[in-house]
Amino acid sequence: MSINAEEISVTASVREIAKRKRSEEAMQEALNSSRTQLKELADTHLAQMEEGRQIAESALRESEEKYRLLLDGIQNYAIFMMDPQGQILSWNAGAERIKGYSADQIIGRNFACFFPPEDIQLGRPEEVLRITAARGRHEEQGMRVRQDGSRFLANLVFTALHDSAGNLRGFSEFSHDLSESKASEVRYRGLLEAAPDAMVVVNVAGEIVLLNVQAEKQFGYSRHELIGQKVKNIIPEGFAERIIADGTRSAAEALAQQIGTGIELIGRRKDGSQFPIELMLSPLDSSEGILVTAAIRDISVRKAAETHLAQMEGRYRGLLEAAPDAMVVVNVAGEIVLLNVRAEKEFGYSRNELIGQKVKNIIPEGFAERIIADGARSAAEALAQQIGTGIELSGRRKNGSEFPIELMLSPLQSAEGILVTAAIRDISVRQKSDEHLARTVGELKRSNDELQQFAYVSSHDLQEPLRMVASYTQLLAKRYKGQLDSDADEFIAFAVDGCNRMQGLIQDLLAYSRAGTNGKVFSEVSAEDALQQALTNLRITIEQSGAVVSHDALPALRTDETQLTQVFQNLIGNAIKYRSAQAPRVHVSATNSVGNEWIFSVSDNGLGIAPQYFERIFVLFQRLHGRNEFEGTGIGLAICKKVLERLGGRIWVESQPEKGSTFYFALPERDEKS
Amino acid sequence: MPIEVLLVEDSPGDVRLTREAFKDAKMHINLHVASDGAEAMDFLNREGKHANVPRPDLILLDLNLPKKDGREVLEEIKESSALKSIPVVILTTSASDADILKSYKLHANCYITKPVGLEGFLDVVRSIDSFWLSVVKLPREARS
Repeated sequence: MSINAEEISVTASVREIAKRKRSEEAMQEALNSSRTQLKELADTHLAQMEEGRQIAESALRESEEKYRLLLDGIQNYAIFMMDPQGQILSWNAGAERIKGYSADQIIGRNFACFFPPEDIQLGRPEEVLRITAARGRHEEQGMRVRQDGSRFLANLVFTALHDSAGNLRGFSEFSHDLSESKASEVRYRGLLEAAPDAMVVVNVAGEIVLLNVQAEKQFGYSRHELIGQKVKNIIPEGFAERIIADGTRSAAEALAQQIGTGIELIGRRKDGSQFPIELMLSPLDSSEGILVTAAIRDISVRKAAETHLAQMEGRYRGLLEAAPDAMVVVNVAGEIVLLNVRAEKEFGYSRNELIGQKVKNIIPEGFAERIIADGARSAAEALAQQIGTGIELSGRRKNGSEFPIELMLSPLQSAEGILVTAAIRDISVRQKSDEHLARTVGELKRSNDELQQFAYVSSHDLQEPLRMVASYTQLLAKRYKGQLDSDADEFIAFAVDGCNRMQGLIQDLLAYSRAGTNGKVFSEVSAEDALQQALTNLRITIEQSGAVVSHDALPALRTDETQLTQVFQNLIGNAIKYRSAQAPRVHVSATNSVGNEWIFSVSDNGLGIAPQYFERIFVLFQRLHGRNEFEGTGIGLAICKKVLERLGGRIWVESQPEKGSTFYFALPERDEKS
Repeated sequence: MPIEVLLVEDSPGDVRLTREAFKDAKMHINLHVASDGAEAMDFLNREGKHANVPRPDLILLDLNLPKKDGREVLEEIKESSALKSIPVVILTTSASDADILKSYKLHANCYITKPVGLEGFLDVVRSIDSFWLSVVKLPREARS
């Protein structure tokens, strides 16, 4: 698939939107949680401090175990008691968490160890106790040191404890780590101003309670012009209506319907100009009732892009949807960015269920691993290894069933990095038919082997009894010729002749069944040498017939030399055997003008063959001449055909009766490997 | 002194043909026949009813035999210090390269494929007679 730049930018923009959506959601979430935290802190801080202090006092005064247990349960605050000199007497879970000491480590030690060394030098620990003893209660903020040496800002309340007689019995310290709450406060304040969007907080009367700098800029008002004003002034329609209670629902209900979804509305600036906005709402329960925080984003650029995008996406999607395969676009994090309808169908998910999800959900193994960078290679390298080759993997449908797939990957360079388009093809049918084919081929091969074996064994075993019949009829003929009557001699002669022919047939059958069964030994063979060997084997025949065999330059090619020799020998032997009244002339040549094969020809000036026999002469034991004309069983050409077919070649004939024949055979040109 | 030949052959027809062929032999030949491999070994080891047989000067061994295969017989002969000096001529219908190679690896002294025609067969037996029993000097071991 070729992807042009436009399509790449479309994909990138699609991604951009998805990503932005996620960041909005994250922001909203952070906003919500920090607000909740803040409120909780504010509400519980004072109450707990007071309560804790009272508990601590009661515990010491009454020494009741239940108070100790209560104290122990408090996690957010360090609470412990000291004797009048500051030696630590008790320790709760909060103290252990905040200061880092366990009870065993700290009880009996002086509380001065919580102070920074410089404060100890200044005598701050003693001073704290002195002041507390004098005033009964002392509160301060100051740096403290944890067991591991790290420092933190703490809010501390010291209380002097007296017995019923009014004697000083010791002190309690009640403290907490300010950094724990400070951080979230700062985060919340920062969030409003640091938010990339305009933020306004509105009450259920539709009045603006709070806003950030971006909101001032966005709408062209200054802060004081907006606080207390109706939000309708800047968002004329669709906002106030959404959050104000009406006859059918409460404000909370109204709001609940809107939370977390982007609402596209129109904003109006101070100068009256309008622009498209996207609104994200979240509620804030406050003492004044429900407040609504609205994040307002100017989406005019996006709107324009979206229009363009819609067209582009339409085209890209058209391309994607037109593909015959399931298509999934994945980023290098292995997340699905885009997919087509076929992918939905193939995997049984709807689009929304897959976008943004890990591709591992639908292709559990072998895909994500291929495109994700690891220590040894970058994502681009990882991918480069996979491009354009079909990878066979397993796909998983929503219902959990798996099916075999073939994957073709192609990369898309986008602004966000590489995206990978994967064409996914269900190959269960193909795999089944492959299996079927392999099975059929296996069966065929087996039955072919059996047939081969059968032919060999049967002809071999037939030969034994025949040898007996032949030997003894021949012995009869030899020993008793002329001793019996003339009929007997004739009968014996027929029997002997029949045996001889039968033996010839069986031997040829054996030769045929063996032909080409010896492993093919492919080597660089000089056809010239093979021809010379054939001529050597035919020397006597050639000499006796006075045949002249000529040849052109012959090529070298990769084939089996023995078998090539046999083919030459059979064809030249035939050319001489079926000669006309003229002295036999045979010419051998070769050409590779057509395709990647060599075509050899063996031409003669012999008897020639009528066209109706062109096919038949290659069939086993088919003869065109009577036994009294020519010897032979009709095996030579059948063997040539079999041998050539096994070498990947073929054989045919062109001939005219009385003029001579040309036998052609083709052999493939092979490279080293085959 | 007659020459003792052991023919190991299961086909009575071949046995008879061999006998017929040896009729014209130059030497006086005593042809003994074992019709399977087990009997051949009994003969060679003079066991059972073969207790009193002579030690053969030459063995003609077919490969495809009942009970004990000719290849096993060959192997046992050539592994036996008492028997291995007896020349063994493989005389079989098999022309397979595998059989030929295997036989020579087992130290067969020569390998002959039975010709299909009567004349061919007679020629072969005559050749054995003229070569192995006339030309060749066979080892003369103490006969016990």
